[in-house]
Parts: sequence; structure tokens; C-alpha cells
Amino acid sequence: MRIRRLAPVLALALFALLPIFVREGFYLDLLLFTFMYAAMSVGWDIMGGYAGYVSLGHVGFFGLGSYVAGLLVVHYGIPVFLSAPFVGLLAAVVGAGLGWISLRARGTSFVIVTLTFTYVVQLLALNLRGITGGSSGLYLPLLDLPGDLVILPFYYSMLALLVVAILVSIAIRRSKFGLGLIAIREEEGKADGSGVNTSLYKILAFAISVSFAGAAGALHAQYLNYVDPDLAFELIITLNLIIMSLVGSRGTVWGPVLGAFILMPLSQYLIYLTPSQIAGQVHLIALGVILVLVVMFMPDGIITTYGTWRRRRGTARPTDAESAQLPEAAA
Amino acid sequence: MSAISTTATAAADTATAGSIALAVDGVDKSFGGIRALTDCALAVGEGSITALIGPNGSGKTTLFNCITGFYQPERGQIYVRGVPILGRRPSDIVHLGVMRTFQVTRLFRRMTVLENMIVPVRQLTLRSLFTAAIKGHERERAEAHLEFVGLQALRDQPAESLSFGQQKLLELAAALMAEPDILMLDEPAGGLNPVMIEKLAGLVRELNTRGMTFLIIEHNMGFVMDLCDPVIVMHRGTVIAQGSPDVVREDPIVLDAYLGD
Repeated sequence: MRIRRLAPVLALALFALLPIFVREGFYLDLLLFTFMYAAMSVGWDIMGGYAGYVSLGHVGFFGLGSYVAGLLVVHYGIPVFLSAPFVGLLAAVVGAGLGWISLRARGTSFVIVTLTFTYVVQLLALNLRGITGGSSGLYLPLLDLPGDLVILPFYYSMLALLVVAILVSIAIRRSKFGLGLIAIREEEGKADGSGVNTSLYKILAFAISVSFAGAAGALHAQYLNYVDPDLAFELIITLNLIIMSLVGSRGTVWGPVLGAFILMPLSQYLIYLTPSQIAGQVHLIALGVILVLVVMFMPDGIITTYGTWRRRRGTARPTDAESAQLPEAAA
Repeated sequence: MSAISTTATAAADTATAGSIALAVDGVDKSFGGIRALTDCALAVGEGSITALIGPNGSGKTTLFNCITGFYQPERGQIYVRGVPILGRRPSDIVHLGVMRTFQVTRLFRRMTVLENMIVPVRQLTLRSLFTAAIKGHERERAEAHLEFVGLQALRDQPAESLSFGQQKLLELAAALMAEPDILMLDEPAGGLNPVMIEKLAGLVRELNTRGMTFLIIEHNMGFVMDLCDPVIVMHRGTVIAQGSPDVVREDPIVLDAYLGD
């Protein structure tokens, strides 16, 4: 039990010290993106896993964060590392507004509204040329750091974002709020009749959920020193978050993290293996295949399936990870 | 109409009175062309154990759903201690102190018994939202209620693994977590064995002595006549009689509409 509790701390220490020993840009870049996707997937799971409301709009908030942070640095010289938390907050406020429109009702309208939101923000980024640069995009100033060190602030920022996302997810899962979200997922009508203000809970969850996408978008824009409507609003970013969460186990704290740490290296390896002309398509096909395989053979994801298997063998006490799972895992 | 007047006007008059916990005033509810409730009016006295009886399809559960915000009536008004509640969502009505159970038990089946107990919320505060759910005062309350209904040993079991009777008791215990002033039970004795029914009656009596008001839909006449006073009788979506069990039992209209069936 103590080892299980210590494992995340040891992993954090390892990742914090890694850049001292590993100077290879490729690996730091891979880890940086893994942290980013893991943080966003943990955020997505607060809404999609705990409350059971699937959002296709997280990339809209990612793009919004990219543009807002980009504009702040270009026009006002505010460094992204300073603005990113506030961009996350702004994403949360916009998310609350979108949630207020779409989450007061039950059902699938939320999925459509979030997808529409992504396209609306993308269209705005494309058409408000005077502000966003339109299809030419927005160029952000380079950081004034030596080439071999420039990755480090982003590496640590993304790691910090992931740590915050995990801590928030743990706090929510252990709180009455988190239990209310799971109750919504289990039976929304009954939850409402138990005094759970389902609209408020969902709006709050969505606001928290998208804040990580907004902050990640901000850091991502500065990391690439560039943002354009295609790059910032790629739907595949949201799909990645969903698949990572599904692979690891939806509705768990660690599932999305595990999913990101499996899928990101796998994606990069695939892209490395395949010719650049078809790498994107192969990546998409691979994601599709993984999604189908998970849905068919492991619909509960790795952590929940493993927990169920151990319990069936009758050898296990509930693990920390399992105790943070959705009720079906505990069943 | 017999025993006590149950007109809409009477209910409206009593709605603001201090001794009335719950008043329904001229409520209509239709589903397509079917009128489930027609000018339905009744009043539930503070601290009473009031029964709501009637033949199947008489509108009892529909009325429960209207009172608790699950359905919105087309006409009329409902008052909780004089406060009009029509148009409010179910959670708002819980926050006013009205809690209910369901005819077909509705639990968060894949949650544990203890988690089911922690979900209900009487008062929404930021602090209550973000403090740890299953520990401290909240857990102590949950365990006390589970002990009260005899389910403490099963607290870590998934709710779906409980027997039908245990699920009924869990739903009751979870409802108590919201600290309701008015508890509405929809066929609480349905499907329970005589021992469990006796236990349930004892629980209701004990809670009532602590000041809780009950409105109970029940088909088990022995349970109703022993436990409840007054008894309100519904037929075809409206109240046709109310009074003490003895008065209702002898009422020819009631006998004709319900007990004589």
C-alpha cells in the first residue's frame, strides 16, 4: 500500500530530474507532449468520465487558449508562463457559459453544442484576420534562451499542469461534488431528486474540465512559437483525449494518465516508422483501430479491467487506483 | 366528497397556515389526452403520518411526481410550508426539506451502500461540495442512519447486490441523509415480508416522534390503518375523501371506489 502511495511521488521526482540526465530533445519533447495530453485527458475525464457527458469541444478550448495567450504575448508582451493560468481561468469561464447553454438539459445535445463551439471558434480565428492573422496564423516571439535549454520551461510547465490536473481530479473524486457527478452518470433523475443540482454540478465540472485544455493550449502556442486555425483546432486532439481516457479507464484518476503514457509514445513511434506523406493517415487509422479494439474487448479500460480481474481471483484488496474508480469497477 | 372538505379553495386557504406542511391546490396534470390529475387538492398536517391511498391509476404517484418537481402540472399550485414550489426543479424541492422514495426503488446501483448514503444534499454550499465525502461527520451520519435501518454491515457492498427489501431500506436511509422535514414514501411496504413491514412501520413511527412529517402511498391496508392518520383517498385523479382511518374505512364513496373493488 505504501509503495502504491509513493509511486506517484517517485514518478514525479523521476520526471523532474530526468532533464538533468537526458538531454536528447526527442525524448523531452515526447514527454512534454505526453504530459500535455495526460493533463488534458484527466481534465476531459472529469466531465466525460465522472459525469458521463462526452465533450467533443475540448480542442475548441485548447485553440482558444492558444490564441488568447498568443495575442497577449504578441500585443502586450505578457509571457505565456505568466498568462497560462489566467488563460485556463478564462477557458473555465467560457466553458461555464457554454455549459449554461447546453447542460441545463439532459442528453446528447451537449455533444453537438461542444462540437459546434469548436468550429465557431475556429471560424472566428480564421475570419478575424486583423486580430488573429487569419489562415496565416500568429507568430509568437521566440524565448530568449539557448537552443538546448529552450524546451525546459515548457517541459516543467506541462509537468506542473499534469500534477495540478491529477490533484484536482483526486480532490473531486473524493468530494461530495465528485460523488454527485458519478450519481449524475449513474442516474441523473434520481440524482436531481436527491438534492444534487445537476445543472450546476455539470456546468462546474465542465468549467474545471476545459480549464486544463485552455492552459495547455497557451503553453503549446508558445512552444511552437506559432498558432493557426488548423493546428489549434484539430479535432484529433479531442479524439486523442477520449481514446486515452478509454484505454486507461474512464472515470478514474489514473486511467487518462496511463492512456496518455501508452498512446503518445505509440503514436510517435508510428509516425517515426511510417513515411511522412502518410504518417498522419496511419496515425488516424491506428487510433481508430485502438478505439474499436478497446470498445470490443476492454470497454472498461485497463485499470478497471485489471481491478475486476484481480478481485475475481479473490487475491486483491481494492487498490488506490481502484478506490478512485467509477462504481462499476467497485461492483 | 366526505369527512373533510378537499376543495382547491380549502387547500389554498390552509397552505399558508403554520400547521400545514404541504398543500396541493387545484392541480391538473395530463399525459396526451389522459387526465391523470383533475383539480387535485389536499393538505398534509405538520408532524402527521398521512396516507395517500386509492386504486391503481388513481394518480397518487403522478401527484408525488408533481410535488417533487419531476412533473410540472398544467394548472394549480403546490405549497411547502406556504412557499409555492411549482416550476422548481427536484433538487430545489429537496433543499426545501421534501424528500421522497420511489415505487420502484431507484438507487445508484453500482455505487456502494455508503456512497449511496453520501450523495443526497440538503443544503448546497461550496464547502460541502469540496470537502472529502466519505469521512468525518458525513460518514458518521451515514453510518448512524445505516445502523438505524440495520444495513451497517453492508456499507461497502454495491447497492445492486442488496435484496429487494434491503434496497427499500437503503433508499429510506439515503433519504434521511438529506435531513428532510417531509418524507414522501411511495409504496414502502410493497414487496416486503411481514417482518420487514413491521420494522419499517417502527422506523416511521420513531422518525415521526422526532418531528418528521410523512406522506405515504401504500396499498397494504393493514400497514396504512395501523400507522397513518389521516388517510386521503384518491380516485380518477382527484381526492374523494380524507379523514381518520375509521372514518375512511366506513365511507361509502371510498368503499365503492376502492376498498369495495
